Amino acid sequence: MDFFRRTLLAGVGSSLAMPILPSFANSFAYDLKAQRIAENSYVIVGETEFFTMKNGGNIVNIAFISTKDGVVVIDTGPSRRYGIALKKLIKETTGQDVIRVYNTHFHPDHFLGNQVFGAEKIAALPKTIAGLKTTGEGFSDNLYRLLGDWMRATEVTIPEIEVTFSSEKFGAHRFEMLPMSGHTDADLAILDHHTGVLYTGDLCFLDRAATTPHANLSKWYDSLKELKKIPHKIVFPGHGPADPTDRSIEQTESYLRWLEAELIASVKSGKDMIEAAKMPIPKEFQSIKVIHDEIERSVAHLYPNLEEKLLPFVGQGNK
Amino acid sequence: MISFIKNSLAVTLMIGSFFLFGPARAAELPEDSAKSVMWEFVANEFLLSDKDGGQKIVMDDRILVHTPKLAEDQMNIPVHVDARAVKTVRKIVVIADLNPLPKVLTYYPENSEARLSFRIKVEQGTTVRAAVLDGDGVWRIGATYVDAAGGGCSQPAMAHGNDGWVDRLAEVRAKVWRNPASEAAKMRVSIQHPMDTGLADGIPAFFVEKLEMKSPQGARLGRIFIHEPVSENPTITLFPKLQSATDRVLIQGRDNEGNLIKVSVPAPVQSSALLVK
Repeated sequence: MDFFRRTLLAGVGSSLAMPILPSFANSFAYDLKAQRIAENSYVIVGETEFFTMKNGGNIVNIAFISTKDGVVVIDTGPSRRYGIALKKLIKETTGQDVIRVYNTHFHPDHFLGNQVFGAEKIAALPKTIAGLKTTGEGFSDNLYRLLGDWMRATEVTIPEIEVTFSSEKFGAHRFEMLPMSGHTDADLAILDHHTGVLYTGDLCFLDRAATTPHANLSKWYDSLKELKKIPHKIVFPGHGPADPTDRSIEQTESYLRWLEAELIASVKSGKDMIEAAKMPIPKEFQSIKVIHDEIERSVAHLYPNLEEKLLPFVGQGNK
Repeated sequence: MISFIKNSLAVTLMIGSFFLFGPARAAELPEDSAKSVMWEFVANEFLLSDKDGGQKIVMDDRILVHTPKLAEDQMNIPVHVDARAVKTVRKIVVIADLNPLPKVLTYYPENSEARLSFRIKVEQGTTVRAAVLDGDGVWRIGATYVDAAGGGCSQPAMAHGNDGWVDRLAEVRAKVWRNPASEAAKMRVSIQHPMDTGLADGIPAFFVEKLEMKSPQGARLGRIFIHEPVSENPTITLFPKLQSATDRVLIQGRDNEGNLIKVSVPAPVQSSALLVK
C-alpha cells in the first residue's frame, strides 16, 4: 500500500502534475509566518478551514519557544512538507535548533510533521502514543486522499518519549505538563511558567468550530473548568488566534454545551441525523468558521450514542 | 461426458442469450442522472430483473435522496429517501452503486408514507440511488453522491470489540410520535445488531433481514427487506399511517440466522386529544 501510494504520486508528479495541479495548488509550498505572542514565544496561526487541496492542511496552530537550551515546539502540522517549512522558519526566527517537540494529541493535523524532527526528541502522553500506533496510518491515508501531493513522503512518526513527568525545564522556561482529556482520550495542555502562556491544543478553539470525532463531552467540560482555574496570561488554542481574555475557553464550552443540548432535544423530538444537522444556529455562534460543516460531522460522531441512551427500550428479540 | 456436453451447451446458451438480450436491454436505459459507471449493471441486476416487473426506467428528480456530501464515519452515513411526490409507490429499492454488495434495502410502504431514513456503510465514495416502482410498473430513479474515505463494508462491526454484544443482540429501542395534523405518525426504531457484511476477515454475514410493521388490528403498515450495507445497530425512521384508535405499532422481524424480533411500540395519541369534548 505504501509502495503503491508513493509510486502513484511519483507517476502523477512527473506526467500529470504540470498541466493539472497548478490550477489549485501552485508549488505545494506552505507560507508560514511566525507571530510573537510573548517573550521568546512564537506561534503560527493556521487557516480556520477544513483540509483542502488549496490550504494543504495548514489549518492548525503551532507554537515554538526559544530557550537557552534550544527551541521547544508544540505540534508539528499535517505533513512532512509542513514540518520542513516549520523547521526552516524556526531556524530563521531563532537561529537555534530544536531540543524538544510535544504532540498535544493524536489528530493528524498536529503530528504528521513529526518525521522532520526525529522521534527521539518528541514527547506525548502515553495514551496519545497508543492512539498513534493504532490509528496513525489510517489518519495518514485519509490525509493523502484529501491533500494529495502536499503529503508526499509523509510517514507516521511515533514519539519516543512518554509524558509521565510533571514538568520539564529548558533555559529559563519551565513547561508544566497538564494531562487532560475530552477532545480525545489524551489531551496535553502545557503551561510555560516563564511567560504565562497556556498552550491548550484542541481543548480550546476560538472563532472556529470545535471538532468532536473522539470527544467525550463531560470530560471535556471538566478539562475546560480546570484550564480556567490555572493562572495564565494568554491562551493559545489549537485553532484560532491567540487569546489574552479566555474567550477561547468560554466559547468552546458554550458552543459544546449548546450543541449537546440541541442534539439531545433533536433525539427526543424524533429527528433523524439529517434533520438534526439542520439545527438553527444562535446569533452568538454565527460568525464561528466552518460551523455548518462541523455540526454535520458532530451529528455523525455524537448522535448514535445519544439515541442509544434516549430512545426508550421496548423489548429484546421476541420477548 | 454427456453431462459435460450438456453443461457446455447450457453455458453456450447462456452466453448466447447474454449477447442476444444483454446489450439490447442496456441500449434502452435512460442516461443516468448520477453518471455512475455502474448504472448499466445496477439497472440490469436489480431493476429490470426484478420479479415485480417494471421494464421501463425514468430519471425523476422529484425523488429525493439526501446524504451528507462527505462521509464522516464510513460505517454510519445517514440517508433520507423521500418519494412522496410519486402518486402510488409499490416499493423503494435503495442501491449504493460502488459497494461490494450494492443493494441496501427494499421498502414496501403499504400503509405508510413513501419516505424513510436509515444509515449505511460504504466501501468507497459512491452514488446512492433510490429506485421507486410506481403504480404503472415504471421505475423512477433519484440519486445523490456521497464522497468517502471508504472501508466501511470490510471492517469488523464495533460490537466485535465488546464481549457483551451477544447479550444485547436484538435489543429494540423505539418511539412513535403522533402528529395531530396528519394520520402519518413518525416512528424511529433502533435494533442492536452487528450487521456483519461477511466481508471482514473471519466474520460470516450476520444481519437483520426483514422487518414488518403492523397495527394491533393486524393491518400491515409496511415491510422492509434489509441487506448487508445497512449500518450496525440499524436505526430506521418510518412514517406509518395510524388510525386514531390505534395505540401501538407491532414490529416483527428476523435476522439471517433466524433470530426473531417481536416488539410492541406504544403510540399514544397526543394529549391534545383530551381537549376534544
